Amino acid sequence: MDREILRRLEKLNQLQLTEQEKEAFLAFYAKQENEMDVLNSINTDETERMVHVMPILTVVREDKVIKKYSREDLQKGAPETTEGYWQVPRLVE
Amino acid sequence: MELYITKNEKATGKIIALDDMILTKDYPTAAGSKMLDGYMSLFNAEVVDRLTNGGYSIGGKAKVGELCIDLLGETSYFGAIERNDGTLITASSEIVKIGEALAAIGLDANGTSRRAAALNGQICVKPTYGTVSRFGTISIACSGEAVSVTANTVDAVKEVLDVIVGHDDKDGTSLSEEKCALLKSNAEFSPAKKIAIAKSITDSAEDSVKSKIEEVKSVLEANGIEVCEIDDSVLSVAKSAWNILMSAELCNNVSRYDGVKYGYRTPNYTTIDELYTNSRTEAFGELLKTAILFGSETLSTDNYMKMYDKGLRIRRIIVEKFAEIFESFDAVLLPASAKNAYTKADTDANKYIAYDENLYTAPASITGLPAVVAGGVQFIGKAFSENTLLDIASKLEGVGK
Repeated sequence: MDREILRRLEKLNQLQLTEQEKEAFLAFYAKQENEMDVLNSINTDETERMVHVMPILTVVREDKVIKKYSREDLQKGAPETTEGYWQVPRLVE
Repeated sequence: MELYITKNEKATGKIIALDDMILTKDYPTAAGSKMLDGYMSLFNAEVVDRLTNGGYSIGGKAKVGELCIDLLGETSYFGAIERNDGTLITASSEIVKIGEALAAIGLDANGTSRRAAALNGQICVKPTYGTVSRFGTISIACSGEAVSVTANTVDAVKEVLDVIVGHDDKDGTSLSEEKCALLKSNAEFSPAKKIAIAKSITDSAEDSVKSKIEEVKSVLEANGIEVCEIDDSVLSVAKSAWNILMSAELCNNVSRYDGVKYGYRTPNYTTIDELYTNSRTEAFGELLKTAILFGSETLSTDNYMKMYDKGLRIRRIIVEKFAEIFESFDAVLLPASAKNAYTKADTDANKYIAYDENLYTAPASITGLPAVVAGGVQFIGKAFSENTLLDIASKLEGVGK
């Protein structure tokens, strides 16, 4: 982890750290990397990944509306709307 | 010391406090973050409907740390809860402690509920993954988080668990009604005969915590339960693996907070990128930002196999280790935290302290196994063994307070 990778991470996650936060992050990351050594000391070559702790397969249901909300209700929490649309800055010049 | 984000002054009868991670249509849900300050959900979480339909009254929304990933609520945008002696505690645990609610419902996303209950001498259950609906809880670490119940007595925990447990079609990870019924207080269970102490995890805690374990051990032995130490070196790596999985899932889950559809929007923007970046940067606290960036890096092309994939494989190794332990033992005893009390000085000195404290809480989180806190310590059991764990807890009422 270096400052260039951190800069890319910030951009990817739409976040900006202060100088102090960057220092703290790099120290935090170095510590987590050290802990990786412990994980790497365990051989997992023959071990399957475990994504779900319970034997649940992808759950599907009929594609129908169970509960309906109005556009007005759904946009009640929006910072800015115009004529029933979410308002954002112009994307294309 | 304001414990509530919103208090329902009209609450009567059997009152339940909700962590502010549980969505309610009648009260705002902020999840301890500036990002969601004032956010109103259009629906209730399934647990809220089950409780109100069952005749319980919602006492209000208790303050939580930002997205409930911290130690004890210290990162809340609305302020940490510090008692007169300077120690930190979560709001929901304290509301129950002072008798303003029969029980608190929380989201055990990163061990906070269990940690608080241990420090406050309470009973807390993090049920088996998939037995209590997570519909309407703010998503953090979906593969391991669970809705928790905290109360001052075992009976109160059992009573509330009976109401909220059960299959829910709205939660894709919800188990069958038949499986969920195994948790009901009237289900048959075998009382614990043999309990294992996770030795290295216990040894890493402070002496005050170790003496709690010793005290609990002697009470259990006096009740005819055999208690012995086991080699738990495999379980102790759950922390690092969980820190990776939790951060990676968190990173994806909070990508929805972008300042467009709901939540905080910065006044400082001209372009869409500035809108996204400034909204998130201004609204998120440092621990959350760190967790997002760390999680994102574990999923990067360079690190996916080394970190995220490794974490998933380690999860299976830990699940298998627990299965092996449960062939000879009925539960594993371990601390819920390294210390008996924490102050703001502790969390200021190490902002990422929750990542370290996951040594104690991650084994149950990463495996989805049930955990019960009682007597200031933690017990982990096999899936659906809540009744066995709560029976152990009933022998410890009065211990660790």
